[in-house]
Amino acid sequence: MADTLDLQDIQGLIIRSYGNLRAACYILLEISDPRLAKMWLSTLANVITNGQARPEEKALNVAFTNSGIKRLGLEPAEYGFSDEFITGIATAHRSLLLGDIEESSPARWIWGGPGTKQIDMVLMMFAKDDHELSDMYEAYAKEFADNNGLVEVLKLDTVDLGDKEHFGFNDGISQPVIEGSGRTASSMHTIKAGEFLLGYPNEYGLYTDRPMLKPAMDPEGLLPHDSSGSGDKDLGRNGSYLVFRQLRQDVRGFWQFLDQATKKSDGSSDPTASVKLAAQMVGRWRSGAPLLETPERDDPRPQLVKANDFTYYQTDPYGFKCPIGAHIRRANPRDSLDPQPGTEQSIAIGKRHRILRRGREYGPPVDTAGRTQGHAAMGGDKPTPLQDEDRGLHFLCLNANISRQFEFIQHTWVNNPHFNGLYDDADPIVGAHYADGSMFTIQAKPVRKRLTDLPRFVSVVGGAYFFMPGIRAIRYLASV
Amino acid sequence: MTHQVALTIITKIKPGETEDIKRLLKAMSSNVAQNDVIPFGKFSTIHFARLMVLEESRDLKGVVIPPSLVFIGECDAPLDRLLHELVDLAGEGLDKIYCHCEGYPTEGEITHARRLAYLRAGMIKVPAFYVNTVGRTVEQILQEAQLRDAIQDFLDDSQQDWSGHSSLDVRAKIQAYVCNKQTLSWARKLPAQPSLSFKLKETLHLVGVPLLLLVLLPVLILALPIWLLLLRIHELSDTARDIKPDAAHVQELAALEDFGAQNQFSAIGYIKPGWFRLLIVLGVFMAIDYGVRHIFNKEDLAGVKTIHFARWIVIDGYRRAIFASNYDGSLESYMDDFIDKIAWGLNASFSNGVDYPRTNWLIFDGAKDEQAFKNYIRVHQIPTQVWYSAYDRLTALNIANNARIRLGLFRNMSETEAEEWLRLL
Repeated sequence: MADTLDLQDIQGLIIRSYGNLRAACYILLEISDPRLAKMWLSTLANVITNGQARPEEKALNVAFTNSGIKRLGLEPAEYGFSDEFITGIATAHRSLLLGDIEESSPARWIWGGPGTKQIDMVLMMFAKDDHELSDMYEAYAKEFADNNGLVEVLKLDTVDLGDKEHFGFNDGISQPVIEGSGRTASSMHTIKAGEFLLGYPNEYGLYTDRPMLKPAMDPEGLLPHDSSGSGDKDLGRNGSYLVFRQLRQDVRGFWQFLDQATKKSDGSSDPTASVKLAAQMVGRWRSGAPLLETPERDDPRPQLVKANDFTYYQTDPYGFKCPIGAHIRRANPRDSLDPQPGTEQSIAIGKRHRILRRGREYGPPVDTAGRTQGHAAMGGDKPTPLQDEDRGLHFLCLNANISRQFEFIQHTWVNNPHFNGLYDDADPIVGAHYADGSMFTIQAKPVRKRLTDLPRFVSVVGGAYFFMPGIRAIRYLASV
Repeated sequence: MTHQVALTIITKIKPGETEDIKRLLKAMSSNVAQNDVIPFGKFSTIHFARLMVLEESRDLKGVVIPPSLVFIGECDAPLDRLLHELVDLAGEGLDKIYCHCEGYPTEGEITHARRLAYLRAGMIKVPAFYVNTVGRTVEQILQEAQLRDAIQDFLDDSQQDWSGHSSLDVRAKIQAYVCNKQTLSWARKLPAQPSLSFKLKETLHLVGVPLLLLVLLPVLILALPIWLLLLRIHELSDTARDIKPDAAHVQELAALEDFGAQNQFSAIGYIKPGWFRLLIVLGVFMAIDYGVRHIFNKEDLAGVKTIHFARWIVIDGYRRAIFASNYDGSLESYMDDFIDKIAWGLNASFSNGVDYPRTNWLIFDGAKDEQAFKNYIRVHQIPTQVWYSAYDRLTALNIANNARIRLGLFRNMSETEAEEWLRLL
């Protein structure tokens, strides 16, 4: 039996995306003086947004890397932090596993890589508008300048594109619902709290490994007891692991590729075909309507745009509506998994590989109206030329077991050229398109169509694994 | 002959020469297919092969087990032909490796026959050997992959818009294309089948084992309650410590993983002390042997379709057991498959190992303790210093699909059947 969520102790970002707070930025920090930083942190703990009430004006959350926990005075390897967190996102083996090679290699990252400054923590700020956000940031920037033991390494800004991401698609539609959080969803999307929150039973009915301390290490009694009954103090409870990856999107390359791939026999562009091909690669139309429900054309009716209770194998076992390799079909295969696709058992297996996505876009949007055929205006009125500035997604996701959740999804589903019986097809949108993964197969009658030599449209330019503690755990860390 | 056989050669390493062997293996691993010690790519009947060092170890009583070298191969029968080929094509390479092992002939006295005799002497029996699909040879797998690639390229290159065509029409065009290609002439015939003698032997085993059990049934029924009682006593009193794998150990293992579609897995562990557990091990291996030969012999190990080969062996006078497999995907997905799909099978065989997560009634719980099980796996896994795959870009599902493409290519089909066949492409 899952105990009720301790919303006052859980950081708000785990519970909600703050969709009403349209402005956000992430401050990557180095702890230069642990003693001062801890004093600062103990004050911060009082203003961190918890999961109880939806904030209307602004929100603030915080998370730490392995080196951050170390600087605060705890050796992560000794207290049961996960191996992925301790060794970090940028190890050689992990780069292979995650497809972070060549242009996405950590050696080229602008943050989080071996050649960049150490990141100890991230402060995440959300506000209802840019004005509010900049006030908020200025206040903290002053504190950092004021010798509080923290140095700003990098400030990552975000941009509000409404519900769209840079390629022009509605994003973030499918999210798991945490069981016990008060929200409801179909059973396929209702996931045990322990998959996202440490200290609660997970989809196996077990407690995921988490940092734990002997009672003697918590003389002030700041931490809750281990609810699985070991007698230890639970530093992990109400916390989660945060995966943060800065993904650069080559919007121009994406639409140019689609334009080329759908040229008519007379050499002219076919905008309708290139939008359709893009939708087949994503698995949803730009409005968000899933191809499974409307395979031929976009249909922005509200019930379709938010549709999320569909399954694949039951309705479209061969991929004739939504290609087997489409981004959303592989990021969450729902009922398509072996050994018995189309069954509850298949769905149950998939439920052990879910993540809470909390990403936001960055960089100026590209308005390609009048320039690149096939990509209609994303809101701007006047056609402006394609720009080369950096743009993409700050991909953030939360999970209790990075290896079984985020890394599994990335390696076994998204980046796997052999996903679900395919041969050479990594994810057409976000995949690493190298020797083995550069094809996209569109299942069709009488026979499949196939695109070859897909370039890489999304590359990784920064990233780190963080631990997002419960609020009592932050107080504890500030007291170490 | 088209059935598959398991080669296992274990030899003791001379004192102090383990590092020499490891250096040699490391050099080999940088070019497994074409290295100058054993160029595995030159052997047309080897599916997978590996070489690994078993480090010196102390058994449960503290007795030292000296280090040894394990050479494993998954090959097409007959095994004897492969041994000859090994000595013919890699005789000097074998010398380079085995001169570090006990009992290998010294430089002056090496002959073809002595090398062969040495390999034979080091061979041990494999009590249970899982083959993804019995009878599918390396040649067949490579040919069928070539056939699929050719058909795919034809569909791409012909610049045709196939959408207006009937399935039978598209199929006829593919058939015509294949017929015109001399290099694909083999595809007009069906693949070779295992030999009659092999089939006969398997049928005898299929029938013989249940018959024997039937004869023994009265004894077994009498023994069952006692066995169950003993099992429960053992299960409740055995240790089941959840030991976390050492970080450096995990790092060493991970550095050898995830370079392509497939991975290797090798693990070793001590069998729990006492005759009772040993008896279970041997019984379970017999059951696995029966299961994989007669039930799970085509593309599916009780719901897991990502394993190419797996073997269970007992070494060191029944003190230790080795499990070695070749699988698709990452270790994480492999372990998740174990837990989600075949925990019962894992429990039955691995729970006789020291400190396996606690089972109930031999097949329940155990691996279902997710993280304890994953810890157990990593703790017992050992580095596979040299690993070769003859088809490292193909998953077991790809291979099965390719076989289906070939089987259906020239068969008479209705429009509906042709439609189904085209879905394989």
